[in-house]
Order: sequence, then C-alpha cells, then structure tokens
Amino acid sequence: MKYINKTIEELHDLLVAKVVTPLDLVKEAIEELKKEETNAIETLCEKEALEFASTLVEPEVDNLLWGIPYVCKDNFSTKDILTTASSNILHDYIPCFDATVIKKLKEKKAVLLCKTTLDELAMGGTGTTGHKGITYNPYDPTHSYKMGGSSCGSASLIAQGISPLGLGSDTGDSVRKPASYGALVGLKPTWGRISRFGLFPFAPSMDHVAYFTRSVKDSAIVLENIAGEDLYFDATSSTKPVDNYYSKIDGNIKGKKIALIKEINECVKDQPILDGIEKCKKILEDKGAIVEVISYPRNLLAAVYPVYMIISCAEATSNNANLDGIKFGLREGNEKSYQEVMMNARTKGFCELIRRRFVIGSYSLFKDNQEELFIRAQKIRHLIVDKYNEVLSSFDAVLTPCGGIIRNPIDGKDDDASRTEVDKMIIENHMGIGNFGGFPSLSLPIGFDNGFPFGGNLTSKPFDEVTLFNIAYALENELGYKNVTAKGGQN
Amino acid sequence: MIKYDKALLKKCANNLLFDMSDEQYELLLKEFDVLTKQMEVLGDIEGLDKVTPMTFPFSVVTSYLREDIPEESLSKEDILRNAKDVQDGQIKLPKVVG
Repeated sequence: MKYINKTIEELHDLLVAKVVTPLDLVKEAIEELKKEETNAIETLCEKEALEFASTLVEPEVDNLLWGIPYVCKDNFSTKDILTTASSNILHDYIPCFDATVIKKLKEKKAVLLCKTTLDELAMGGTGTTGHKGITYNPYDPTHSYKMGGSSCGSASLIAQGISPLGLGSDTGDSVRKPASYGALVGLKPTWGRISRFGLFPFAPSMDHVAYFTRSVKDSAIVLENIAGEDLYFDATSSTKPVDNYYSKIDGNIKGKKIALIKEINECVKDQPILDGIEKCKKILEDKGAIVEVISYPRNLLAAVYPVYMIISCAEATSNNANLDGIKFGLREGNEKSYQEVMMNARTKGFCELIRRRFVIGSYSLFKDNQEELFIRAQKIRHLIVDKYNEVLSSFDAVLTPCGGIIRNPIDGKDDDASRTEVDKMIIENHMGIGNFGGFPSLSLPIGFDNGFPFGGNLTSKPFDEVTLFNIAYALENELGYKNVTAKGGQN
Repeated sequence: MIKYDKALLKKCANNLLFDMSDEQYELLLKEFDVLTKQMEVLGDIEGLDKVTPMTFPFSVVTSYLREDIPEESLSKEDILRNAKDVQDGQIKLPKVVG
C-alpha cells in the first residue's frame, strides 16, 4: 500500500501538502477493499465515495478530517445507502436520513468507503453471526480465530490498514474487544458524549457510538469532531462542551494515579497478557504515575455478565419491536393477518441467536420474574457502578487486560462447564462495567504473542477522556505499537 | 423465577411474534440451564434492599428548552419507500376487521 495505511495525522499532512488527493486515497482504498478476504464488507460505496472525493480539491488546513476515508459499521443509518445491521430482516432497507455521526463526518468532508459487517443487530461478541457469515481476523491466515465483535468488519478493515478510521458501536465491549484482537485503538467515550441518533438501538441504557483507529492521537482527533450535543434528535446527548482532546495530548502523566484490579488479573489464562500488563505498569511508573494494585469485590465482577445479559436482552426485545416487516424489511406477501406478516418476517428475518436472546429478554420481563431477574439485575448494576466510582474517586484511571486469552478459536465450542466458569465470566466480560456506568474506556495494543496481538484497557471518570488519551499516549510511545497493521507490521 | 419448559419458551417467542423449530427450542432449553447457573451468582449478592434499580448510567439534565427552529421533515415518499405494499400513500396490510 502506498498511502492508505497511514494515520489520520500523517494523511492530513500529505493532503495539505498536496502529495496525495482525497480521490487518490479513495481509489487506493477501493482497490484494497475489492481484494480483502476477511468478509468484512456489507456494502461497498464505490460510486458515492469517488463522486464525493472528486469534489474535494482545496485542502482545509485546520480540518484534520478533510478528505480522510473511513468505514462504518452497518448499524448506522446512511441516507440512500443500504443498511442491513447484518440481518436478513433488513436485507433491503435503505434509510432516508443520515445518523448524526455520519452527518458530522460528511460536514467535515471525511469520505465513507463502505458499510461493514457486524454480529446481527450488534447482539453478539464473536463476529460470527451476521447474515453474511463469519468475519475473519486478518492476523490469522488460517481463519481459525475470532476477530471478535460485534464491530467485526470495521475492526478487520482498520487492522488491515485499508482505512484509518472505522465507526462501530459498543454495548458491552463490541469495539474494545475486537480492538484487542486487531492491535487497534478502540474508544468508547462517555455515555452521551456522541449522539446516538441514527444508530440502531440494541440496549439504549448501555449503547455507545465507538470507533477504531490505529493511534491514540487519531482517536482524539475523531472524538473532538464527532462529539457534542444533539438535543433535537438525541435527548441523552450531553450538553457539556467538547474538549480540545487532540491539542491536550502531551503524554504527561506525572502524578496520575492508576489502579490495577487484582481480581481481574487473577483470571487471565495466558501469561504474555500478564507480562504485558506488568510492562505497562513499569512504563507508567517510569513516567511518574503512581500505580497500585487494588481489590474489587469478586462477586460483583462475576455478576457483570449475567446482569448484562438480563438488561441487554430485555431492552432489546422492546427496541427491536419495530422490526416487523411492515414499514420496512422482509415481507413475503400473501399473509392473512398483520400478525402473520410480523410472525413471518421475524421468524425468517432473525437468526437463531437473536431469537434466543429475545426469549431470554421476554422471560426476564415476565411479571413474576421481574423482581428476581430484571429489577435485581438493575440493582446489582447500581452496586457495580457505585463500587467502580469509589475506585475512581481515588484514581485517575483503571488499567486491565481486555481479555484472558490471546487466540480465541472460532469453533471453540464452549461446554456448559466452561461457560459457567466464574474466572472466564469475569475476564471476558468485565469491560461491560464501562457501559453500565457510562465511563470512557479505551483499548490499545500492549503486546504480541506468536503474531497475534492483545490489548489493555483504560477506563476513567465520565467526561475525562483527556486523562484517558494521555495515559494511552504515554503507553503507546513506549510500547511502540502505533499504526500496526496485519499485513505490513508497523507502518 | 417461573419454572421454564419448552411450552413456556414457545410462549415467550410467540409473545414477541416469532417462532422457532423444535430443535431450536431444545437447544434453548439447554441454554436456559446454563443461564440459570450463570445467574446463580446474582443470588449471592446481598444488601440490595436499599439499592435503587439503575436504568441509565447517569442523569442527563437539560434545564432549558431548545430553540424552536423549524426543520424540514422527511417526505411521505421517503418514509414509505421501504414498505413492501403501499396504496394511496398508506401502507397496506391484510384486513383487520371482517
């Protein structure tokens, strides 16, 4: 690749110097997208991208997103562009409006290259349940290990270096987990920081717009351009002013207090991950930060996954009630009643996993179950968040591994014993706390083992993304995993 | 918790207007066994009497009304273009009343 595998910062300099044009970048990216082999694309926006890029002639020096190509998970509404959420029920749905983030990126003159695959309706964490099948991890030529999900397509394309920015969404860890499997920077900012208008809702009390880049500074550039209030369309968007994240990154973390959670680290299976965390600890201390290992109640950590399942499935049942085959989506015709229209559309339109999750949601909302399941889950969520807030009242950030194993097999059929193993429930799901409490949370690559990357996760207080970026930047500088791609190593 | 069996799971599915095959219900029953085990950890957590259910991460307080600026709304044609059966500007469904 010539230019497209560079960071946003680098591309901006090249665009301003007129070494390359947006049209050159789009042409190069389209050529690469047509060759890509991980099943990451839902819809290639070739015509639209070429047309838009050819209108971008005079570079805007102060606009770092001018002419920057990006890809977008297929659960964001894109006007006049097929948007399926990787679900058969939406196989031909063409929205008539843009999501707010898409609109903002368009206004900044970033160029949408393609819509990307996801676990159907973003309800999964494997990258294997979309209607087009499995999305593979570009770090694994054998196609045996997971990309992770649900934002699998965007993760794969950014990891391949075909674009510097990939939009995703994160309800449990759907950007931060695949970021770990793809050596990417994955940011889920504070809940309400980015408007969710036009993002297909899964579980609105935990849904976030999130995204992948290959450098911390790129992540900061994107946030300050797509964050901000959107009260006309998203009443949960925050009115707090958007910070100048990019200019505030200096990597100075002297005196910052960072916590490691003993009970999470104890659940890690693969030693290189623990070595990676230890290396991060040393770097942070060398840079003047104070790092302490603290304790967090193990029973609350073990509760994260069941609480997540109950709340997310329950919210999903009502949020997806609009997928009925009537206003849009799959409808066969010749049905005898509107109930039959819906029954047909939803039975044939949703994959088995989605239908199972809906049944779980419905079960937990039964009147006789509500107190014991749904309300109890909401109360425990409160306890988990209160306890985390307690930690963050004494620390600037928490550093954890993103997961417990480096290579996660696609066909690793979990047996029942493994799925109820508490250590595994903790280490593979703890990042959901960021969604429970709306805390800003960022994953970044912290190591490689036999060619496979793994990530660390930083979480800080709501609206304190600046601290998060600075700690991540300090680590990135020393670890040297900036702008790594699956094909070319470090660019 | 209500005791679950295949009939109950089918009722849950049908309430949400979809169905599954017999094999899929069998699989779901097994899934419920695992889920119940996973949820056992919730039973061990004490002191919930004084805790309020958390429905959102934190309150988003808006203490003023936004400006009343007219916006162009979507056209009827745009809204209807994804519906499969449209007649006289309305979505057509099978007859509801006999």
